[in-house]
Amino acid sequence: MFGEKKLRQIADKALNFSTAEETEVLLFVGSNSLTRFANNQIHQNVAWHDLGISIRVVNDKRIGVASINTFDDMSLKKLVNKAIELAKLQKPDKHFVSLPKPKKIPKVKNEVYEAKEEELAKNVYLVIKKAKSNHLTASGAYANDTSEIAVANSHGVWAYHAGSSCNLSTIILGRSSSGFAADVARNVKDIDAEKVAMIAIKKTLDSAQPEDIEPGEYEVILEPQAVSEMLAFFQWYGPNARIYHEQASCLSEKMGKRVFGKNITIIDDPFHPEIFPMPFDYEGQPKKTMAIVEKGILKNIAYDSYYAKRYKTKNTGHALPAPNTMGPIPLHLYIKPGNKTRKEMIKSVKRGLLVTRLWYVRVLNPKTLNVTGMTRDATFLIENGKIVKPVKNLRFNQSIPEALNNVVSIENKLMRLASFEGELVNLMPTLHIKKWQFSSGTLF
Amino acid sequence: MRMLKLAEQILSKVPKVEYADVRIVEQSTEDIATKDGIVEALHSGQSLGYNVRVLHKEVWGFAASNDFSNKGIDATIKKAMEIANSSAKYKTTNVTLDSQKPITVSYKTPIKEDPFKVPLEEKLDLLLKADKAQKVSPKVVITQSSYQANREKKYFVSTLGSKIEQEIVWTGAGIEASAVSGAEFQNRSYPNSFRGQNQTRGFELVRELELEKHGGRVAKEAVDLLTADLCPSGEFDLILDSNQLALQIHESCGHAVELDRVLGYEASYAGTSFLTPEKLFTFQYGSPIVNLTADATIPGGLGTFGYDDEGVPAKRTYLVKKGIFQDYITSRETSVELQKINPKYKKKSNGTVRASSWSRLPMIRMTNINLEPGGEEGTGKAWTLDELIADTKYGIFMSTNRSWSIDDKRYNFQFGTEIGWEIRNGKLGRMLKNPTYQGITPQFWNSCDAICGRREWTVWGTPNCGKGQPSQVMYTGHGASPSRFRKVKVGVVQW
Repeated sequence: MFGEKKLRQIADKALNFSTAEETEVLLFVGSNSLTRFANNQIHQNVAWHDLGISIRVVNDKRIGVASINTFDDMSLKKLVNKAIELAKLQKPDKHFVSLPKPKKIPKVKNEVYEAKEEELAKNVYLVIKKAKSNHLTASGAYANDTSEIAVANSHGVWAYHAGSSCNLSTIILGRSSSGFAADVARNVKDIDAEKVAMIAIKKTLDSAQPEDIEPGEYEVILEPQAVSEMLAFFQWYGPNARIYHEQASCLSEKMGKRVFGKNITIIDDPFHPEIFPMPFDYEGQPKKTMAIVEKGILKNIAYDSYYAKRYKTKNTGHALPAPNTMGPIPLHLYIKPGNKTRKEMIKSVKRGLLVTRLWYVRVLNPKTLNVTGMTRDATFLIENGKIVKPVKNLRFNQSIPEALNNVVSIENKLMRLASFEGELVNLMPTLHIKKWQFSSGTLF
Repeated sequence: MRMLKLAEQILSKVPKVEYADVRIVEQSTEDIATKDGIVEALHSGQSLGYNVRVLHKEVWGFAASNDFSNKGIDATIKKAMEIANSSAKYKTTNVTLDSQKPITVSYKTPIKEDPFKVPLEEKLDLLLKADKAQKVSPKVVITQSSYQANREKKYFVSTLGSKIEQEIVWTGAGIEASAVSGAEFQNRSYPNSFRGQNQTRGFELVRELELEKHGGRVAKEAVDLLTADLCPSGEFDLILDSNQLALQIHESCGHAVELDRVLGYEASYAGTSFLTPEKLFTFQYGSPIVNLTADATIPGGLGTFGYDDEGVPAKRTYLVKKGIFQDYITSRETSVELQKINPKYKKKSNGTVRASSWSRLPMIRMTNINLEPGGEEGTGKAWTLDELIADTKYGIFMSTNRSWSIDDKRYNFQFGTEIGWEIRNGKLGRMLKNPTYQGITPQFWNSCDAICGRREWTVWGTPNCGKGQPSQVMYTGHGASPSRFRKVKVGVVQW
């Protein structure tokens, strides 16, 4: 940990070295450890520390960005000069107005926990022990990341945040099946390794000896992990100002119009107590809670300073690090919960599939947000409201907007989910979707 | 030389262990991206750091840092030892490495023109001209060009006595036009989608690509696709262009033969593989003309290097010979493990272990995984694409990847391409939009009945191969020429 004071000194130094009209400094310090296990043993145990500084300079609408992973004076001077040199050779960007001005950043507690190797290894061993006692094989990873992010610019922007995450995920393998479970928290003590192990073990045991099933259109119950894997693509390709204005988004030209079913409300909430808070974006602009879709109506999309100025609207605080060719992205999504329990949702299905996870989801067409992918780690057939048997995995080809227009019911609680690593966390409920298109099967 | 000495100094501080190695890595990158005539990204990056890997009490410990002070080095070594000690408490098996000879050597990617020395103005000019050339119709709503150059200097020393200095340079560029009409959105890229062509070559590659010359054609095809007919659905003969076949090889062969994945070490993330050890030397992976190799020695291949990150020399290995599954891509540790499982296997590591940066643990990665061209030993006739089309009564020719997905054992795959053409009575006919095809890996490769010759064989670069936890993005290559597959399920998705 460098701490806010030290990072501010480094940022000020870099800003003072710059002779450009406008300068932005993005600082990152990270300390990470990861214990990975497979075949019921720890096979990879690693730790690494890194830091980085990225300088964006602007001269006469010409922008240059340079980055390096050292903070000494000579390197900082060189880095600033490199960015200036790049900007000099740039062509002016006629749409660029200026780097953002300072705005009040909401207060968020910096919560940092650095786990010891022994703590990670001990919990991993617990998962392995549980798997072994059920004659199963455990694999997975337990990661602990701590990070400090700071942004400064020559207009007086200063923003600093420190956080950490502990993320345990496991796939338990049986002879003919597998099951997944994960948990994420700020602190190791808030992760219940035994619970994670038991959820995955139950899925593995329940999905043993899966049977073939004909592909086709099915009603589906998507568990939160599957919903999150589906929504990730909406997150990147949907409410993104760049893609929206390029006419390439499934939401393009639909502001204020109905895009999903009336029961769908999607919120980006960087301050939600269950999602790791992040008070500002990578330009040091404040984040805020924002409804993207409210009762099926498109209400807002994500902007950074560039796209907000270009399209004469408000910056929503969704910038990624420069240079950003992806566009602004909302990173703290949740779907508003409904009023059913998962049991009730399953009970209401006449014939359908319970899908616990999706895998290798890829976009076929960004405009219609048609995606393909596979089911993974336990899929079940539901008949007359009951789970009757495990089935082999299936490939799907499905439009996400169509799926979100066919949501029958939403679970009454949300589950906190992490990406495989890092701090990207969202909250998802189970969804009951009327129609889901499966196009082929596989051999397991 | 100074860095190699520093690596030796770090290694000399490591307490006595079964084995240890130190890697110092210095990476430089340059990225330029244009969009609609504007330079959207102009970035120069540098990263320098080192790692210490120890085999202690027969388990691994690994720590990495960018702090080269004495205190920083001591702390990194201490961390690596602590990690090994904490893992050792819970170990159930012992890590054993194959035997290797110590090597003292230096290797440098042979390039004609250093991409970092070409004036930036010239690169910007080239890319902006290529961007502008795509403005052929108001329906072309996005025009893009991109360029990337990477230099990786690696200094490796080990307690075996190896001292290896390497400098790998790779360069890439490409263009992409997008056209929109109502709900219809179509892309065309050249020479390939997702960052163009990438090779371990210098700026000469970028010049050879002649991006500006292809800008107009690519954009016109994107516009034409807006009104093209949908790819029909059914079981048809399929000819894949080499740029699409490269990704097919990557997903359905390259990942499937990673021995760490096969042994379960990737189960928690990317999955396992259907190519289990008992299938070695007997399994009919493909038709008798299918010969797949892992070859890190091909000039210009994106997966070409001198020595892997365990100090093992780059090699050429047959993975599939005359259709029969022969080998995996392996490491010093997994090759020993495989010998225990399948005693018929007698080989040491075939040198495929790489890490994406100084902060990452080296792991098995694809090198250049290739479908050997037609007209060579056991690969059938050396077809030309024209002959192949003329020999096809009805089929679809597909080019340039648009989407890809495969299950976690590498059986069921689905690919979409940017463009397709119908083949009728040996002639290329109407353009087809949204082409897709689907299959099961061994069935698909067993349906391969014709492979074009070396003249049409290209080593395509895949610079974005993800694997591992923490995630690592690696640059890999795939040699391929257009090839035909009989009765493939085509047009599985209609939108």
